[in-house]
Amino acid sequence: MYIIIVGGGKVGMTLAENLSADGHEITLIDTRESVLQRADDTLDIMCIPGNGASIGVLQEARVDRADLLIAVTGRDELNMLCCLTSKKLGAKNTIARIRDMEYADEIDRIKKDLDIDLVVNPEESTAMQISRLLRFPLATDIDVFYRGRIEMVAFRVEEGDMIAGSPLSTVRRKFSDIPVLFCAAEHNGVTYIPHGNSVFEKGDRLYVIGSSMSVNRFFRTLGRLTQPTRSVFLVGGGRTGYYLARILSDMNIGLKIIEIDRDKSRALAELLPKTLIVEGDGSDHELLAAEHLELSDAFVALTGRDEDNLVTSLYAKKAGVKKVVAKIDRQDYNDLVRELNIDSIVNPKSITADAILHYVRATTSSRGGHMEALYRIGSGAAEATEFTVGPGTAHMGVPLKDLNSRLKAGVLVAVIVRNGRFIIPEGGDSINEGDNVIIVSTTDEPIMDINDIFVS
Amino acid sequence: MNYRLIIKTTGTVLLVEAAALLPSIVTALLFRESPVPLLLAMAIMLAAGYPASRAKPKTSHFFARDGYVTVFLIWLVLSAFGALPLFFTGLVPSYVDCFFETVSGFTTTGATILTDIEAVPKGVLFWRSFTHFIGGMGILVLANALLPSSKDRQQHLMRAEIPGPEVGKLVPRLSDSSKILYAIYTGIMLLEVVCLLFTGMDLFNAFTTAFSTAGTGGFSAMNASIAAFNNPAAEVIIGIFMMFFGINFTVYFLILTKKFRAALASEELKFYLCVIAAVTAMITLNIMHMYPDIWESIRNAFFATSSIITTTGFVTADFDTWPQFSKTLLLLLMFIGASAGSTGGAIKCSRVLMVFKSIVREVRQIIHPNAVFVIRMDGKAVDEKTLRSVMRFFAAYMVITLISTLIICLDNVDLTTAISAVAANIGNVGPGLAAVGPTCNYAFLTWWSKILLSLCMLMGRLEIFPALVFFSPSTWRKN
Repeated sequence: MYIIIVGGGKVGMTLAENLSADGHEITLIDTRESVLQRADDTLDIMCIPGNGASIGVLQEARVDRADLLIAVTGRDELNMLCCLTSKKLGAKNTIARIRDMEYADEIDRIKKDLDIDLVVNPEESTAMQISRLLRFPLATDIDVFYRGRIEMVAFRVEEGDMIAGSPLSTVRRKFSDIPVLFCAAEHNGVTYIPHGNSVFEKGDRLYVIGSSMSVNRFFRTLGRLTQPTRSVFLVGGGRTGYYLARILSDMNIGLKIIEIDRDKSRALAELLPKTLIVEGDGSDHELLAAEHLELSDAFVALTGRDEDNLVTSLYAKKAGVKKVVAKIDRQDYNDLVRELNIDSIVNPKSITADAILHYVRATTSSRGGHMEALYRIGSGAAEATEFTVGPGTAHMGVPLKDLNSRLKAGVLVAVIVRNGRFIIPEGGDSINEGDNVIIVSTTDEPIMDINDIFVS
Repeated sequence: MNYRLIIKTTGTVLLVEAAALLPSIVTALLFRESPVPLLLAMAIMLAAGYPASRAKPKTSHFFARDGYVTVFLIWLVLSAFGALPLFFTGLVPSYVDCFFETVSGFTTTGATILTDIEAVPKGVLFWRSFTHFIGGMGILVLANALLPSSKDRQQHLMRAEIPGPEVGKLVPRLSDSSKILYAIYTGIMLLEVVCLLFTGMDLFNAFTTAFSTAGTGGFSAMNASIAAFNNPAAEVIIGIFMMFFGINFTVYFLILTKKFRAALASEELKFYLCVIAAVTAMITLNIMHMYPDIWESIRNAFFATSSIITTTGFVTADFDTWPQFSKTLLLLLMFIGASAGSTGGAIKCSRVLMVFKSIVREVRQIIHPNAVFVIRMDGKAVDEKTLRSVMRFFAAYMVITLISTLIICLDNVDLTTAISAVAANIGNVGPGLAAVGPTCNYAFLTWWSKILLSLCMLMGRLEIFPALVFFSPSTWRKN
């Protein structure tokens, strides 16, 4: 596919890198020479300096033959205009990042009127992700499939768990009556698909997948199901904080926001009647103590500085808050952060990039079946994808045990959904047309199509 | 200050006042009375108003200060000239008494010095009630609605005259807003006239009563006020219409433009109706033993509550004979008053609500010293500036009430009389308690008490600050 990316910020660069690696032809448009210079140095893409909403610049980028234009500049209005202009000039699909709160409730209308195919709102998606984590405090990560009815939950193995120290085959027996699957594990930063002999240690991260109900049962049996979150303490009242506050107030969860900026605090107080807004420095321990941080069920750090988020999160953990979530923008901190005692990390850039990557792959792959969802898990090396099985899918109806030699190494068929029933597949099960399948893969080449799971 | 423009505006308003005398003259002629007092007054108004309205201002610059001064001046002049018909009848020898009566009329207070109202000619009585109708919505609003829109900046004038903490325009153009307001106002008034005619009231009384109800004034053409008609159906109708005129007129505009949801969402409206319901219930329980059946208790309690909270001041039952609890409740209502943007007076429900909310916020602020709390009305945040001005208004209102009470006490009246007299006048209610109670009047007070109360009425009607600006020395300094 020929893809034009307008805006070379963090998301733009991540997308350029990933899409280029997926084998697409990329042109990057940005006004800043330095950004283009860096992109030109590190990636095999074309760079055009200029304003992405200008017709001249778009024509220079050959927008008429573009399959997709992604507008991810810092300004919503520019992104919208970019999509509108490029559609008129012949781009087939457009994606815009729109994140202002004023537009949040009007997204459907904007999409329709400006003919934008996908609107991504990183702040809102991040807030959704955080709200999921707060609803399920023991999870370090939650991804959903099949319209939210299947969950893949990551958690950390603790000392003395029924899991630590014994091989997976033994562990499975302990949970034999619960239909969940241990679909991935991460040990020392390496993500792999566990097999019968794998032994998990304390500190490893495990991914289980199953229906929401069975995942719940799994954690109850494990003895890790805690009280639901009733009160949340939030530092940083930016856009993400605002979206989160709206979701939490719908869930009737109490929320306290600490925001350092006077005008922002005032604006938030006007927008959020049910939320307590405190003006002050979220890294000031005295303020946190005066507002009784330790009485909250969960703590979320959403300031604009990763370092502040890390430090306040560590402080909150030390103060005894059960669930701590920190927002980290920089990808290079990922490995470092995993070592720390912070329950969950959210990364808005990767959430956005995932959404766009999924869209691109979904529009590209139509041979085997439609791609419904895509998440990168672990440190980004592994992926979980959901497909609808179409008529072009290979090896339909063949029991999985006979397919062993045909399946690529590092591919796991985790769940098959047939007529609304969830199947954790065993050797006798097969993939049929009309099914939804969830694949976990650690292969080097991305799974672009369901047929990519087979050895060609 | 732009003196010429002030003179011109005042002169124009005098001409409007002269025109407003016409219906009274017609009434006098219909009743075969001598129209001389009215015609004489009209001639004087024209003689004074016409040259003034011809003044040629050098510029049309008009600032907030000029607006405040002009509004207060206009209301003074309006009352001074409006007092003439009553003075010329010769029934009231003291001009101060006539002035008090007319201020009471224009400010829609309804406090009277007449001991025998029915002795006054019908034409002058019609004028007396008509002043309520003019004063209720405001003479400047009327002038604005009638006269072709000028280029002068009149927002400052309107801001000073329209009651309430925030002036919301109904439509973009000020003169269109004024026309809509007067149309709604007149429409509901005429509806009341029709309803009253159905209860068997005669046309003259139906009109004078409807004028008083519409302006939330309280002058009646009868000595015994509404009780004189001895007509329970009319009492209920008047009670309900008083309540209607105490509602913000924006609500009617929203209903007319079919925005029912927005109309009913008003927090002030809910508060206003809840207060009426709660006070009616409490008074009913309190006075139940005094009346033969419960319905009469409810009717009297509702009428008194509606009459006092809307600051009308009509009377069906002598509430001065009611138990202390009921009297005190009514005294409190005199302070609360009707909704902002209605024709009622006093502090206004929306301000009372904001004061309550500020107190709650203060307590919460002590618990969370750094928290940011926003006060909301109808779900929308109230601007801190508005809030501060509400608090200042509240403080000024209370301080003026207390000082005036002190001065009235020089007349050697008891405390209940003094407090209720001031509360009833600054709140534009009319009847107070004890010596100025519903069956009594203000005739016995000394002339300076009457002037003080006249000022209180004007301050209450114009929401305090125009009067303070007018009397402030720094207003009149050149630099």
